[in-house]
Amino acid sequence: MQRHRQRWQLLTAGLLGSVLLLAGCATPPPAKPVSYAVLLDNPDGTTGAITLTGAAGQVLVTRAGFGAMLDGSAQPYSVDQARLNADFGAVLAARPHLPVTFVLYFDGTSTTLTADSKVLIANVLAEVSNRAAPDVSIVGHTDTLGSIESNERLGLDRAQAVAKLIADAGLKVIDLSVVSNGESDLLVKTPDETAEPKNRRVEITIR
Amino acid sequence: MKFLALFVVRSTMLMLMAATTPAWAQEAIGFVKTVAGDSTVTDGGKAVKAVPGTPIRLNSVLKTGAKGTMGVTFKDNQVMSFGPDTELTVDEYLYAPAKGDLKFAASMSKGTLNVVSGVIAKLKPEAVSLKTPTGQIGVRGTNYVVRVEPQ
Repeated sequence: MQRHRQRWQLLTAGLLGSVLLLAGCATPPPAKPVSYAVLLDNPDGTTGAITLTGAAGQVLVTRAGFGAMLDGSAQPYSVDQARLNADFGAVLAARPHLPVTFVLYFDGTSTTLTADSKVLIANVLAEVSNRAAPDVSIVGHTDTLGSIESNERLGLDRAQAVAKLIADAGLKVIDLSVVSNGESDLLVKTPDETAEPKNRRVEITIR
Repeated sequence: MKFLALFVVRSTMLMLMAATTPAWAQEAIGFVKTVAGDSTVTDGGKAVKAVPGTPIRLNSVLKTGAKGTMGVTFKDNQVMSFGPDTELTVDEYLYAPAKGDLKFAASMSKGTLNVVSGVIAKLKPEAVSLKTPTGQIGVRGTNYVVRVEPQ
């Protein structure tokens, strides 16, 4: 079974290589199963890069849909969808839901959500309940109005208020982290003792 | 006006877990989210069948069987999924952004893998690496797939 599959992969890889050679491609894909990596578009639509460093050299891949050998022996080459599906279909099908982060805002120096943020609670709860074995991180923040110590406390109170929403909805999480960054991680940089609604927030990440 | 100290409160459940787990057991750095077929997570030489919620720790060995697949998320939002007959070990994991402690290193001996980068790769791309028998992969805020033929 295993040998048959490998032979089949050899055959398709060989065919693919021949076709691309005929098409005049400068660096044809390898003709047998090899160790290689392929850069894909990021989920947000941007494209990053990978470097492959091995005994044969170092290769930088910066175009999505391009791959290169792990030993750094060949320049990046285009990898078509059929090859991606054959080698990586099972892997991509097993990818979990990507983590999602919500930002909820608060009124003044309170632990009361703004009217706009209250509307988002349903979405937060839906994300938690839609996932198998969700783990959740909640980080509370404040603006710079008040002392560092009181803002540590307020950030924690805000984070705990959001944690309570999840608990009150009867949702089970396998791990919950509730943390305050107080006024130390401002979304909008301001001087001390400055009221800034965008800094009065809780960031909740659902994995 | 920078305040570096983090005020951390863990859930009671986690504190209880820490108090009752053996000395070699490390804090969870991620969790299994999807599983099909025979897949295992091995810690300290002890293999457990992977199910959604199985914790991943430093030095965990993640393995899928001939027809198995598995998907994992890490604390820094890195997402990995494994195709059949794949084996990967988490060699290093540091995620304390406030202190600048950021590191992810893993070794993959065989199989197929998809990686969607997380916060560590975003903040400190040079601290992220995947070792394979024939070469090492480095990233810059990236989504990629890799196939490793066993040596």
